[in-house]
Amino acid sequence: MNDLIALHNIVKVYPPNVLAVDNVSVSFSKGEIHSIVGENGAGKSTLMKLLYGLVPFDSGRIEFGGVNVRFHKPGDAIAMGIGMVHQEIVLIPQYSVWENVVLGAEPIRSMGRIDSRAAIDAVRSKIEEFQFNLDPLAIVDDISVAARQKVEILKLLFRNVSVLILDEPTAVLTPQEIPQLFAELKRLRDRGHTILFISHRLDEVLELSDRITIMRKGRKVATVEASKTNKESLATMMVGRQVIFTSKRTPHRRGELVFEARHIEMERSDGLKLLDDVSFSVHAGEIVGIAGVEGNGQFELVNSIMGLEQPNRGSFLVKGRDITSLSILERRKLISFVPQDRGKMGASLSASILDNAIMTHHRLEKQFSRWHGLVLDYRKARDFVDMLKERFSIQMASRQSEFRSLSGGNQQKVILARELLLATPFFLMDQPTRGLDVGSIEYVHGEILAMREADRAVLLISADLEELFLVADRILVMHRGCIVADLMTEKTTIEEVGAYMLGGRASA
Amino acid sequence: MKRRLWSGLIGVVVALAVGALIMLAQGYRPFSTYAALFQFSLGGIGPFTTTLKNSVPLVLTGLSAAVAFASGPVNLGQPGQFVFGALAATIGGLYINLPAVLEIPLLLLLAIAGGALWSSIAAFLRRAFEMSEFIVTLMLNMIADFFTAWVIAFPLMDRKAYSPMTPQIVMNGWMPDLGLLSSSTLVMLGAVVLVWFVFHRWRAGYEWRMTGQNSVFARLGGCDIQRNFLAVMLVTGALAGLAGGLVVMAGPHRFIKGLGANYAWDGIMIAIMANNSIVGTLVYGVFIAAIQTGALGMELITNVPSEIAQVLQAVLVLIIVATREYTNVLLDRLSARRQAKERAA
Amino acid sequence: MNVLIGLITGMISGATPILLAALGGTFTFYAGIFNIAMEGMMLMAAFFAVLGSFFFHSWLIGLALAILGSLTLALIFILFSVRLETDEFVTGIALNLFALGITTYFLRQIFKVKGVFTSKSIVPVPQLNIPIIEKIPFVGPILSGRNLIVYIAVIATFFCYYLIFKTRFGLRVRGAGYNADSLDSSGVRTSRIRMQALLLCALFCGLGGAFLSLGYVTLFAENMTAGRGWISLAAIILVDGHPYGIAAISLLFGFFDGLGLFLQNYGVASQFTAMIPYIATLFALYVYARRVREKKGKRT
Repeated sequence: MNDLIALHNIVKVYPPNVLAVDNVSVSFSKGEIHSIVGENGAGKSTLMKLLYGLVPFDSGRIEFGGVNVRFHKPGDAIAMGIGMVHQEIVLIPQYSVWENVVLGAEPIRSMGRIDSRAAIDAVRSKIEEFQFNLDPLAIVDDISVAARQKVEILKLLFRNVSVLILDEPTAVLTPQEIPQLFAELKRLRDRGHTILFISHRLDEVLELSDRITIMRKGRKVATVEASKTNKESLATMMVGRQVIFTSKRTPHRRGELVFEARHIEMERSDGLKLLDDVSFSVHAGEIVGIAGVEGNGQFELVNSIMGLEQPNRGSFLVKGRDITSLSILERRKLISFVPQDRGKMGASLSASILDNAIMTHHRLEKQFSRWHGLVLDYRKARDFVDMLKERFSIQMASRQSEFRSLSGGNQQKVILARELLLATPFFLMDQPTRGLDVGSIEYVHGEILAMREADRAVLLISADLEELFLVADRILVMHRGCIVADLMTEKTTIEEVGAYMLGGRASA
Repeated sequence: MKRRLWSGLIGVVVALAVGALIMLAQGYRPFSTYAALFQFSLGGIGPFTTTLKNSVPLVLTGLSAAVAFASGPVNLGQPGQFVFGALAATIGGLYINLPAVLEIPLLLLLAIAGGALWSSIAAFLRRAFEMSEFIVTLMLNMIADFFTAWVIAFPLMDRKAYSPMTPQIVMNGWMPDLGLLSSSTLVMLGAVVLVWFVFHRWRAGYEWRMTGQNSVFARLGGCDIQRNFLAVMLVTGALAGLAGGLVVMAGPHRFIKGLGANYAWDGIMIAIMANNSIVGTLVYGVFIAAIQTGALGMELITNVPSEIAQVLQAVLVLIIVATREYTNVLLDRLSARRQAKERAA
Repeated sequence: MNVLIGLITGMISGATPILLAALGGTFTFYAGIFNIAMEGMMLMAAFFAVLGSFFFHSWLIGLALAILGSLTLALIFILFSVRLETDEFVTGIALNLFALGITTYFLRQIFKVKGVFTSKSIVPVPQLNIPIIEKIPFVGPILSGRNLIVYIAVIATFFCYYLIFKTRFGLRVRGAGYNADSLDSSGVRTSRIRMQALLLCALFCGLGGAFLSLGYVTLFAENMTAGRGWISLAAIILVDGHPYGIAAISLLFGFFDGLGLFLQNYGVASQFTAMIPYIATLFALYVYARRVREKKGKRT
């Protein structure tokens, strides 16, 4: 195999002391699809960012076409023919497709004026060349996520890159959209391009790749040929021990009705329906999952249950009590909540662990107040945090350390613990395992199943179908603000759910 | 904590160095200038108590800004709240005459109410119409400035005076001196202690801090954002108003033109230097007061115009804040580089 | 008739510094910089304009020095905010205070006065009499005979529109504001674009400040910008940065400025007339907030 890119002994430490890439050496050939797998935090994203020049590395060297190179900014990499499509799509939503594609390489006329005619034509011919099915004049904000991903790829092809790095591209696609992407990638490979594919989804990686490199805790474990390995051995290499893929869920009888959504409707100011006649229920001892591509109303649903937003019509009930017009504090007496984004909604990163742990408890539990609720009893608060640390095995330097000093897994533990101990009948969780390593994911799933044993009602929103199938009793699918399916997990398949997610089959 | 002290110190040293460069460029001798500066502000009990007295408006307006910024509301209205507090205290002191032991608390209360009233306008406009308090408080500053200028030039003007000012308030409203120490200093210190307690030990303060750091998190946690916003605006307006009242009662005992001067903007600057820490505000407040107090005396000895104090202050803010943030970045990077060397070996 | 003409010319004079500062601020606004240092930039410019004109007996040198003065402030802003990544809000406030301090200091040091410096030796920026236009009845005296900087400001408005919406630079500046990561990954360094935006802002604020001290009147007074930088910031926010919208709002504020002077002739106390532009800003903000609320759709 002719090596196009070779990485030798790369080391990267993120300030102050996070070892992200630990002495990694790996090489990639021309005309291959090479996947890099590892769990969250293994260093695969970082390794590619180092190659691309987004982030500087501390030692080692990179060879491209046999020549030592060092990229200081993405522009350098692109000039040499290497392009990267990130996990979070970084397009400018206010601009059109063609403006996004030519940004940075705009064709100009005199006085710096953009030659829009030439630009649009050039973009259109590239679209046709690669059969991408996009409209150059469409505004990016209006097109689908899969289409936006194509715009990102197009942007790089416009600059004639020969190496494409894709970071978790399937995270934002439905099961039905993935084969199309794979077909396009294989076509590019056949034309001589090199595709570097970062993922933690082993089935996809096995289907798509020629070779696979496994990373764990910043180190390279091995590089293997896809045809000569399987899911189990990949997973073992990824995690370092045997990973069980079957569900730990045992049959559990569900109890009384705890949570109900009745005909919830929410419209945007221009009339677009964000939530369209949403009705469902959750019982005690039951885990109901909501599947769906992000942006189909899940976020609005969560916000309206919690009270951040108000629906236009309909009502929510918890244990028979209508909470639709209650304040957030009142709702918190009945609902525990683990939000989608730890940093933005679930905690204050700069506050101490203690301050984060007592939120909501500080109002709802008399034990924390003195002087008729005016003063906080910090001694009781300290005891509370010690108890949390003990019971949930949370690794922290001290109660007063900044919350952001905790690892992702430990942060989620604190939030989970805080919410669990509110002793409410209903638990709402939004993407609770996002960005966590396998160990933490297993832990969270264990806690969720324990809630079920304790007869709490759990509503779990997740973009990870595997997770839903592991944990949920029932799976609802949201599409364009409607619940289009209500399926028993035992009686359905990932493909069927995926079809509903795309809106393929409308339910009765 | 230790890092904060270090970066603060480095910042001060660098800023003084820059100030020295400016002085050298003008042909003055920095060392003797600084010596005179600190002699007149910190060299002895007399200068020190004067510095403390001068720090009162700086620390109080600084507290106002610090509490506001750390809790979310962008209250830049201290200048306006300051003069309204001063005006309220002046009006009370002109028309009400009670024994001192009642008069002084009354006037202080009026000052607090005056400041809170002015900030409540911004709070109301935000609550009712979602008008950004950032711009509203700034506009209200200018309006308050002009309004009080009119008041002391027309209805409340002292006819016997040569420039616009009110008559003196009754003597029962004058803040007494306890030896060399002014009682206004004691009021200020009391306010610092009280504010610290509320901010760090009371439930309200906890909610304010969390809201300031992440308002969505606080909201989801059950905090009443609207109510807390109003409370913070009122409290911080009150603090700025108190500063105004104390300046009148302990200083010229009347409302004169240019009373607010730059106290309030200096206070905002102090809060920024202290990174909204309450203790830090006290420390930096006294430090800036030292520079300002010393500058006047310094001019007598070295002929350096006292206005250099203003330049020095602005340089201080920039350098201290930049140093603080940059030192953290630098130290982190150094630690990372060290670790990388270990792994590569 | 003359009264009306006086009112309109007063309006134009009042609007010009705000327009120029706001045009400069537009670049930083689109580039995604929270720039509140326009007040300081204008003040520096006003002082150095007088300095240059007085010592070199030339308004052109005054203009050049004014721009240099505000560029200096912009360079410090760049050093701290872009290079050292200091918080933009803090940097802006500190720079405003620095400008106030240093102009007051130099006023004392160089001109040996406190408060106001004026002198017959200060050469003002000239007025332009346009030959044919000045003969047109009614509009003639308005359109012709205005200060040179006013005409520059008008041209600048169109120039800014072109720059922001039709050129490559403009696409990148707006990109920097909409999504800096996207711009960076397109190979354009956002920090460089932001730097350029700040320098452009300084250029326009320099012209605005020079107009204050060499066009409107010929003097320098301590803190003579008197919050105009804040009003220009409000103007930018109210129209979301669009140059034509800014021109309209600036005229509105200029009108209120002129109205104030006008009312003084009728016995309204000067302090109240001085309040008018600021009250007007509050009202404009009220209208803006109303519009934003309606756009979001009235939901709690």
